[in-house]
Amino acid sequence: VTYRIGIDIGGTFTDFALVDDSTGHLLVHKQLTTPTDPSKSVLSGIITMLEENSIPITEISTIAHGTTLVTNAVVERRGATTGMLVTAGFKDALDIAMERRFDLFDLRLEFAEPVVPRRMRVEISERNLFDGTIESHLDEIEVEAAVESLIDRYDIQALAICFLHSYVDNTHEKYAKELILTKFPHLSVSASSEVLPFMREYERWSTTTINAYVQPLTDLYLGNLEAGLQELGFSGRLLIMTSSGGMVTTDIARTFPVRLIESGPAAGALMAAFLGQRLDEPNLLSFDMGGTTAKGALIRNGKPLRRYEFEVAREYDFKQGSGLPLRIPVIDMIEIGAGGGSIAEVNDSNLLEVGPQSAGASPGPACYDQGGTSPTLTDANLVLGYLVADTFLGGRMSLLEPHSRKAIKRSISEVLDIDVSRAAWGIHEVINEDVARAFRVHASEVGFDYRNCAMIAFGGSGPAHALRVAKKLRIPKVIFPVGAGVMSAIGLLTTPISYATLRSSRIGLNQLKPSTIELEFSSIEKQAKDLLIKAGVKVAEIEIERRLDMRFIGQGHEVEVSLAENFDVKELEILFRRTYNKVFAAAPHDADIEVINWKVEASGPRPTFADNYTPFQGAKKGTLGQRKIETYDDKTGESSVSSVVDRYVLEIGQKVLGPALIQEDETTTVLATGDEITVDNLGNLVAEINYTGV
Amino acid sequence: VTKFDPISLKILWDRLVAISDELVQSLVRTSFSMNVREGYDLSCMLFDSKARLLTQGSYSVPSFTGTAPKTLQHMLDKFPPKKLKPGDVIITNDPWMGTGHLFDINVMRPVFKNEKLVGYTMSVTHLPDIGGKGMSSDCTEVYHEGLRLPVCKLQDEGKLNELILDIVRTNVRVPEQTIGDLMANVACNEVGGRSLLEFMDEYNLEEIESLADAINLHSEISMRQKIEEIPDGNYKNCIQIEGPRHPILLNAVVCVKKGEVAIDFNKTDGPVKASINVPFCYTNAQSLYVIKCLTIPGLPNNEGSMRPITVKAPHNCILNAQPPWPTGGRHSVGHFVVPLLMGALAPALPEKVQADAAMMNVFSVQGKHRNGEEISSLFFLAGGLGAMYGLDGRAVTPAPSNMTVVPTEIWENRTSMTIEKRAILENTGGAGKWTGGSGQEVVFRNDTGNPIEFALMGQRTEFPAKGLVGGGDGSLRKYLVNGVEVDPKARITLMPGDRIMMQEAGGGGYGNEKERDL
Repeated sequence: VTYRIGIDIGGTFTDFALVDDSTGHLLVHKQLTTPTDPSKSVLSGIITMLEENSIPITEISTIAHGTTLVTNAVVERRGATTGMLVTAGFKDALDIAMERRFDLFDLRLEFAEPVVPRRMRVEISERNLFDGTIESHLDEIEVEAAVESLIDRYDIQALAICFLHSYVDNTHEKYAKELILTKFPHLSVSASSEVLPFMREYERWSTTTINAYVQPLTDLYLGNLEAGLQELGFSGRLLIMTSSGGMVTTDIARTFPVRLIESGPAAGALMAAFLGQRLDEPNLLSFDMGGTTAKGALIRNGKPLRRYEFEVAREYDFKQGSGLPLRIPVIDMIEIGAGGGSIAEVNDSNLLEVGPQSAGASPGPACYDQGGTSPTLTDANLVLGYLVADTFLGGRMSLLEPHSRKAIKRSISEVLDIDVSRAAWGIHEVINEDVARAFRVHASEVGFDYRNCAMIAFGGSGPAHALRVAKKLRIPKVIFPVGAGVMSAIGLLTTPISYATLRSSRIGLNQLKPSTIELEFSSIEKQAKDLLIKAGVKVAEIEIERRLDMRFIGQGHEVEVSLAENFDVKELEILFRRTYNKVFAAAPHDADIEVINWKVEASGPRPTFADNYTPFQGAKKGTLGQRKIETYDDKTGESSVSSVVDRYVLEIGQKVLGPALIQEDETTTVLATGDEITVDNLGNLVAEINYTGV
Repeated sequence: VTKFDPISLKILWDRLVAISDELVQSLVRTSFSMNVREGYDLSCMLFDSKARLLTQGSYSVPSFTGTAPKTLQHMLDKFPPKKLKPGDVIITNDPWMGTGHLFDINVMRPVFKNEKLVGYTMSVTHLPDIGGKGMSSDCTEVYHEGLRLPVCKLQDEGKLNELILDIVRTNVRVPEQTIGDLMANVACNEVGGRSLLEFMDEYNLEEIESLADAINLHSEISMRQKIEEIPDGNYKNCIQIEGPRHPILLNAVVCVKKGEVAIDFNKTDGPVKASINVPFCYTNAQSLYVIKCLTIPGLPNNEGSMRPITVKAPHNCILNAQPPWPTGGRHSVGHFVVPLLMGALAPALPEKVQADAAMMNVFSVQGKHRNGEEISSLFFLAGGLGAMYGLDGRAVTPAPSNMTVVPTEIWENRTSMTIEKRAILENTGGAGKWTGGSGQEVVFRNDTGNPIEFALMGQRTEFPAKGLVGGGDGSLRKYLVNGVEVDPKARITLMPGDRIMMQEAGGGGYGNEKERDL
């Protein structure tokens, strides 16, 4: 039993990666997603793969799964009818939200509606004070009556329990939940202190209501999947990836489905980190660009950065602040509305703008000839000769360049009075600048110096833009990994089971004693450990990582400090100041310091992933032949001739000099004049960029 | 101008905006002032060597629209460009040279490329404290309001002037935080200069004047084209707002003609003995903000886009108050420039204007936490937003400025007070085809065991948010202590166990109520 399967469900395609840990052989597979019931495409993909390679399902030890199911359910509002019990006086918290406009100049702002409508929120006369004292006690009869009326009147299937200060004392929430489950066992119930004991009621409650909202649907999906796998004879383990990049069992996924948001993209960033370790590049930018969005992650010392905030369902032009906030551990990723389908237009002030609106898969770019008439990034890349019309997706789809030309001409060239290729170049380069800008701003936010890093570029559109983005950031090295098209599915196979959580408790540094520290960590550490033990991890194999959010008293933003196993409380101040200075450069401060959040991550052993994994691609070898294509040269504004190189015939150590396109089924790597890549001994394409004299 | 086609212009321009955004980000993350980190009460700008504004960080409050070029000019009057050296940093917090009150520190740094001056960067942030009486409406002269720093050199060729730092340190309540914020400004300007030079290297630019020409010309043309879509005419409006003793009258005439807008606040009342007088720079900023919202909301701020707009106000009226009138709470009058001008332009742009907002309730709270810690903090509460054509006003949303709510759990931790209720006050927005946004009701209980002071600066307690085009007015703002209504502009002492209830005003409605779709 040496096989494992990674499955990543995306909006359009579901990707599969199957690895044989004993030999390192890797097989990949891609097929269309079945949106109405994604478990169908998962099951049929598994069957196809196993049958084609004559592997019995009993040989599979683990199936690791990443899915956009939860994100889509929130965006498309397909969750359950959900009610809410909330501390008296605060049922409007979800509408009052942040009391903030996310754009100051645009007067027509629209905000995402909460997932629990106002009429389905019932106030309960209980009250905890900030220090944990109880001002009014919970009344069982009141709770029961409230839930009963929500069921009678609205037929709710899920319920969120949201009480003030439950992160200090969860007695009321816990008791209410037990009571409700005894009386109404069919309800899905989420309590805010369980989902994440974090101080800030609006964000905690928003997270809790969304958890409740997606619970019934997640339960159904996982149930179908488990039943289907069992029918096939699968007796191994089914694991699901969370947005923080940890693997969890289906039990944990059912309890905290909100943590599955962004589980697919997280796997891509983790794969980049994993590759970085193999290639001895501990500091990386992971750059993933697909059809609708581009995603970037920063990887420091071999680990992707994490954070505890995320926003889902951005209502208004993807603008930050227009969605619903979530406090869950996530891999810290920047998301830009920039992908192959991004639509270009001339805006109000007569300037070219690209995205965030996307033509998506339907109607798609003009060149798909499916009715799309707006010019997109893919159209621009086709006009520029950065894509080959008849080898797109391994030749399974052909692109119509005249359509692209026509769309760009009508919407851009004629409006701005410039020629079509210049307009196309503008579209291409605006995206490069957008991506570079997002990396730059984000790096300054977290104090990350990307100049000594390598970039790992993948996704359908990433490799066409990576080198130009890298040059803007003065990144010296870009790596185009093997299997770039299914990176996330491969990433699912490299990750251990883990669970991360945090708890808010504000304590001044001068009051910290070793015993306080143990006390503060104990409850969340126990929760994390228990979950892992339940998932079958041996106690001795559990690794615990502790981190603190600290700040100068009076500041609004925290700095995260990692604690070594046997750290000395006395060194905490130095540790904090060192981290602070790294992030914000030196700032002289005599102010006092405090701890705000206590964070724990428990993980099991990392799966042994063969170091010499090689994708099997014999069948594709050499189908492309010798070709040339005219490409746009931005330096001269003229076209020059690029060679089209078949990635499947490249050999270790071989070099390719630009201008050239390197073609594989799922993506195209674009080299401009002067760029050069070398194939490393694992099959990755590596470009080194020399900046002296640039 | 011929040097940049629309494509290059877009790309270079975006990069400059990105540089100023980067500065904003680092300031927000390191600052102590609540106004900065929760309300983005800050701004970062890039200038060319002729001191023309190129770009401004995309996220800053309206108060800073167009103020920086004038601040820079004041600085250069005292320290001419020829005498500036690499490593120099110039500062001032003068309300009349900067942004209207002493709390805002303006920090500028010249940028040199191979010994040649190529541009300037500037940042402005609201400091945690500046001495004096703190933010309140009961000062009668600017001298009560704190330390006023003339244009001075904080850093001379890289060497900090310790005397200036000492003067600041000695005059403020929270010296570490105030000096910390000042130094964060110095650091971010250094980073900005570096980024500007890298940008010039990447694109092989020896100077940025011609780029500034192109950006400004492009913006000016776009703005003129948009203004031309407004029918020519003289549009007038006059509103009354609440003063310390008597109502204050604000008056405006907006003349739109051939792609230009001239705004005149003639016949506006004079200054008052309270810290709510408005220096002209602030009036100008709010006026530009309105025109921008009504024309091209997304256009980056620069001089070109403002060229077609002129603003004037009579010398020493409340919207052009002269020293030594106190200006600390200039927002509480200055924000009314927005509804004043929206109302004026309503007949010309009925589908673009927004009915009056309820305005923000800002108050400061001073006392002692149950654990003995000092409490000295500003608190913000929003009322309802005004409705507009096709859109109901959102409940509990600030305008024209911005802020972020302080969560109940954080407030209770920080003060040991208890918030008993925070609920939408239904149907407090003005009626209309589109209704105004509702206000909210918030109840604080003093559980600190100590007396606690609330300095109230409430507006919309006599004059409601007006509806537009036949829409109704929003309801008024009210404050009640233990159930009894109190003076909305007083300093109130809450004894242990006392409750203060704040009822936030509703926004104005739009259009006739009878036409509302049900």
